[in-house]
Amino acid sequence: MSVDRRQRPQTEGGRVVPNYAFTAGRTRSVAGTDMPIEALVTATELGLAKAPGMPPEARAIVEASTVPQSLAEIGALLDVPVGVARVLVSDLAAEDHLAVHLPLVGADGRPRRELLERLLDGLRAR
Amino acid sequence: MVSAHGERAVGGAPPAEHRNLLPLKILVAGGFGVGKTTLVGALSEVPPLSTEQRMTSLSDGVDDTSIVPDKTTTTVAMDFGRVTIDDALVLYLFGTPGQSRFWFMWDELARGAVGAVVLVDLRRIDDCFAAIDYFENRGVPFVVALNEFPGTQGVDDDLVRDALAVPEGCPLVHVDARDDASCTRALITLVEHALAHSG
Ligand SMILES: Nc1nc2c(ncn2[C@@H]2O[C@H](COP(=O)(O)OP(=O)(O)OP(=O)(O)O)[C@@H](O)[C@H]2O)c(=O)[nH]1
Ligand SMILES: [Mg+2]
Repeated sequence: MSVDRRQRPQTEGGRVVPNYAFTAGRTRSVAGTDMPIEALVTATELGLAKAPGMPPEARAIVEASTVPQSLAEIGALLDVPVGVARVLVSDLAAEDHLAVHLPLVGADGRPRRELLERLLDGLRAR
Repeated sequence: MVSAHGERAVGGAPPAEHRNLLPLKILVAGGFGVGKTTLVGALSEVPPLSTEQRMTSLSDGVDDTSIVPDKTTTTVAMDFGRVTIDDALVLYLFGTPGQSRFWFMWDELARGAVGAVVLVDLRRIDDCFAAIDYFENRGVPFVVALNEFPGTQGVDDDLVRDALAVPEGCPLVHVDARDDASCTRALITLVEHALAHSG
């Protein structure tokens, strides 16, 4: 599986963010319980190209994921428990047919401050 | 404000327009019939969906080490809804059942959450104690939201805080779970509270 952990420092608005900001929290394999229920899934170009030849469930996941879908939504789409959806998604991600977007949490295990600020802005604008 | 990058994709490389995607979640907890599904539905841009989470737990009597631990598997149905916040952030709301015997299985669900809304029906306050205890013990930011069913309005907030043993500093809000604006205000209070306790 190609795992993109962004080990190099990131530049954000002129500020270099240390690695740990991106690797704190859940950084191990995305298989098993390490993919939270809210993890977002998007189809890759490769996945979309291969979709027509996939088994029906895999194809349904990839084609639905042209619009970002959470693991919970994949489960609801296929009418399977989240655990089953997680296995199917892990397999597709391992083949680079899907990208999985994990939550970004700080060292305290909670979403980082700037995310909370963006969330607040978004909610106030509703 | 520094903009956060969500570039923690795994699997294949996502298309450019999805590169910064980031999920967030808020839990909506409370007893039977307290209005969890109603609240999720009022906020969600799609009709609330339902998903099943299989949870394995030790059954009663876990203290008794003389017997083989008795594993039970429970399937818990959860409602959830989706709120697009901006071009990268997607907020999920999970309505979670409040029976106390499920709480310790919820660590996975609570992990990484922005926080929780504990919905309370003042006619049945006992139903919310387990949730309040859970989030308090786990250090998950939460607000207590009184769902104002007919006949439950007008109770003094201090009395309610006392009766529910709402921790000091924990916001108490009033909601109409059917009303989007009312529920949005409760989420805003929660996020403000979470920010006040964020490093
Ligand atoms: N008057 C009033 N009725 C409400 C309110 N919120 C929910 N209800 C009603 O209360 C009933 C239960 O609401 P639900 O949203 O299904 O409650 P729930 O917590 O999801 O229930 P379970 O999933 O069965 O535990 C429904 O008939 C709702 O229409 C409210 O704010 N005011
Ligand atoms: Mg419900």
